Amino acid sequence: MENEAVVMKNVCKDFKVLNRHEGLAGSIKDLFSHDYKTVSAVKDVSLTVNRGEIIGYLGPNGAGKSTTIKMMTGVLEPSSGEILVNGKVPYKNRTENCENIGVVFGQRSQLWWSLPLIESFKLLRDLYMVPQKEYDEMIELYRSLVDIEPILHKPVRQMSLGQRTLSDILAAFLHNPAIVFLDEPTIGLDVSMKSKIRSLILGLNKEKNTTVILTTHDMGDVDALCKRIVIIDHGQKIYDNDIEHLKNYFGSYRTLKLCLADGTWEETLIDEKTTDVMDVIMARQKETKITDIKILEISTEDVIKKIYEGGSV
Amino acid sequence: MNPRRLIALTRAGIMESLHFRLGIFVTLFANLIYLVLVYYLWKAIYDSSGTDVVNGMTFTDTMIYLILATALFNFLEMFVVWDMSRSIQSGKIVLDLLKPMRFRIYTFWSYSGSHVVQFVLTFIPTFIVVMIVTGGAIKMGINLLWFVIATVFALIINYSIEMMVAPICLYTESTWGINIVKETIVLLLSGASIPLAFFPEKVRMIVDYLPFRAVYDIPLTMLLGKNGSDTPEGLLKMFGLQLAWILILTVAGNLFWNHAVKKITVNGG
Amino acid sequence: MSKKRGLGFYADIYRKILIQDLKSKMSYRADFVISTFGMIMTNLSGFVTFMILFHNFPTINGWDYYHMLFLYGFSLVALTPVQCFFDNNWNLRFMVQSGDFIKYCFRPVNVFFYFMSEVFDVKGLGQLAFGIGTIVYAWIHIGIPVTPLVILKLVVFLFTASLFMIAIMNIAAATCFWIKGSGYVMVIMFRFKDFAKYPSSIFSGVFKVIFTFIIPIAFVAYYPSLVILQPDNVPLLSWLSPLLGLIFFWLSYKFWMLGVRKYDFTGS
Repeated sequence: MENEAVVMKNVCKDFKVLNRHEGLAGSIKDLFSHDYKTVSAVKDVSLTVNRGEIIGYLGPNGAGKSTTIKMMTGVLEPSSGEILVNGKVPYKNRTENCENIGVVFGQRSQLWWSLPLIESFKLLRDLYMVPQKEYDEMIELYRSLVDIEPILHKPVRQMSLGQRTLSDILAAFLHNPAIVFLDEPTIGLDVSMKSKIRSLILGLNKEKNTTVILTTHDMGDVDALCKRIVIIDHGQKIYDNDIEHLKNYFGSYRTLKLCLADGTWEETLIDEKTTDVMDVIMARQKETKITDIKILEISTEDVIKKIYEGGSV
Repeated sequence: MNPRRLIALTRAGIMESLHFRLGIFVTLFANLIYLVLVYYLWKAIYDSSGTDVVNGMTFTDTMIYLILATALFNFLEMFVVWDMSRSIQSGKIVLDLLKPMRFRIYTFWSYSGSHVVQFVLTFIPTFIVVMIVTGGAIKMGINLLWFVIATVFALIINYSIEMMVAPICLYTESTWGINIVKETIVLLLSGASIPLAFFPEKVRMIVDYLPFRAVYDIPLTMLLGKNGSDTPEGLLKMFGLQLAWILILTVAGNLFWNHAVKKITVNGG
Repeated sequence: MSKKRGLGFYADIYRKILIQDLKSKMSYRADFVISTFGMIMTNLSGFVTFMILFHNFPTINGWDYYHMLFLYGFSLVALTPVQCFFDNNWNLRFMVQSGDFIKYCFRPVNVFFYFMSEVFDVKGLGQLAFGIGTIVYAWIHIGIPVTPLVILKLVVFLFTASLFMIAIMNIAAATCFWIKGSGYVMVIMFRFKDFAKYPSSIFSGVFKVIFTFIIPIAFVAYYPSLVILQPDNVPLLSWLSPLLGLIFFWLSYKFWMLGVRKYDFTGS
């Protein structure tokens, strides 16, 4: 098997949408309008994902993340460019492609709503034609990684959001796919569930060498799971490298926190290459009394925020 | 109740309906085909019968009655039962209850926009077509006014029936079942699928006093000037029936709703 | 390493999903009772309308009471499969609008199959019983001889007649991939079925063509049933109805799948 799980070359995706007008008169006008505009959701994105990698696919809302994933899963056809997933064009071989991928769209369960989880698993086993032996081994692996007993015989509709997400992730790995797409898997979950899910993903990735493509807004996910991140914004890829590299690049940035006399904390992001931290403190001290000082290294969250806000890399 | 709020709700409803632009054209077209089906069926029925007038209804009367019943059906159609069951399941009902308006009134007015759109885009065109095609079979007189008033009452009664049925969703998840029972009863007993004039004498005695008749049969009968609706006593009787049902259904609906809503506050939705 | 999934595979999967589905439905008894009651009510209401019509008019276009009743029963049975197996079409527009539809595209099986397999509507069986009863009753009164060949014909033509309504509903449902707010198309098409129980000889001119070949309600009961009702004088279209049924079904399936391919899944 080749070493690349996903190869994208100059992929673009355009949508045609109606230009809508405002107000009641606008609504009536729209009834007969032919005023369409083309929106480019993904612009000229090239990307290679290797086997066994966990990559964080990040970007602000509406950046084109979901569209990219939909193209990789074979649901959408790219307007131009080339995509190979497991060496095949996903759009042309949708069924075949689905054999080798698993997908979790956070908050949207793909399981049978009224069936107990174990019955859903059995149906999936038959749907993917997983041999009984492999299926049993997988269930054993699940047992060793996470406590599945409490949810195994519970219908999905009666589960909490965390249990449902957990179930969906387990279901996505059940047929031992080469690639698993996780779209915001920890959205809306509590802290302990988040960490449970992160360690489950790591464990499965390690055991089965599954490639994981993860989109998220939670930098905790990124810190816990990803070595490499890809960031897209306005449909364009703006960063693709190790997370360490990113931190090095922004390594000269420090978060300066000053506690004022009234007990409030003031936060400033400072680039040490251009500004001296001491100068800032001294300048501020002339204006007001400072009771406490903290200087922090930049967090992933701040780095990403900086990039979204337009800091180029 | 602040009228500006109500108008704002109506306006939002109109804009929302217009958003589905192709849907509106498709609806118009589908209605047209449906009318053709009704036409052919009743033409064949009257042709086979050998007489021109059956139970006081000519072919033209029957056509006007059924076509406008369909148009009224589109105009009056509400999905209160479906909406309520969906908002109960998603928990949105709690938000609706928090709105600074009484739920019953809020729901009614949020539908008013789609009523306006349906009235302008389906009822009026259908009415004009029927008027032209039947060449003066619809009298142009005071009966039009009675028809409009009766239709407004019909709208309120129809809504009251919906609001009588919708809270059942708080007790069971069987939305489809509830809705189909309601729809079947309303359509059959209101005269929307077959004019009430054709019902056997004994059945009519009962059907005449039920609220369903007040939705389709009374406005249409008034429009056609049948069944004594061209006399003051006849008019009085029909309007009286409508008003009586509005009163009964509103009181009963409110009682039921107040009882049902406790289930939300107790169970948290 | 693509795996082969044949008819046997699909039948097996459908059976398994069905069993699980029925099991879970048993736990919602109130829903089942109310829905069944609703189904009985609709059938009863249809029947009452029919009786009222015949109370006023003894024949329709040369068809007497029992022949009409046969046609009525035939249409009820022919409409059962669409009710039982393809009921999920009614949910399609909501799923497409909310974006939930995408989940059907991630499995290595046919999307149409996977989508439809999710719902089996038990209520349709009540309609089936009602229809069979009506056919038998009319059959006895008309005095059609009972031979194995006639029974075979009845079964074959009922089966193929059912394909037409399935095709109509598939197409009506699939419009939602292109047209927002097209829900009314389904509602009105579903009401068209009420006209399947009348002899299509009532139509003339261009509408005869429309209701035969474009919105083929004439094939839901009228043409196929003539094979049984008028064995000496069967029109060509009646004999052709099984073939046409397959073609219509196939076209509707292709249209539905085209919708899936063209849809841009922006609902998320």
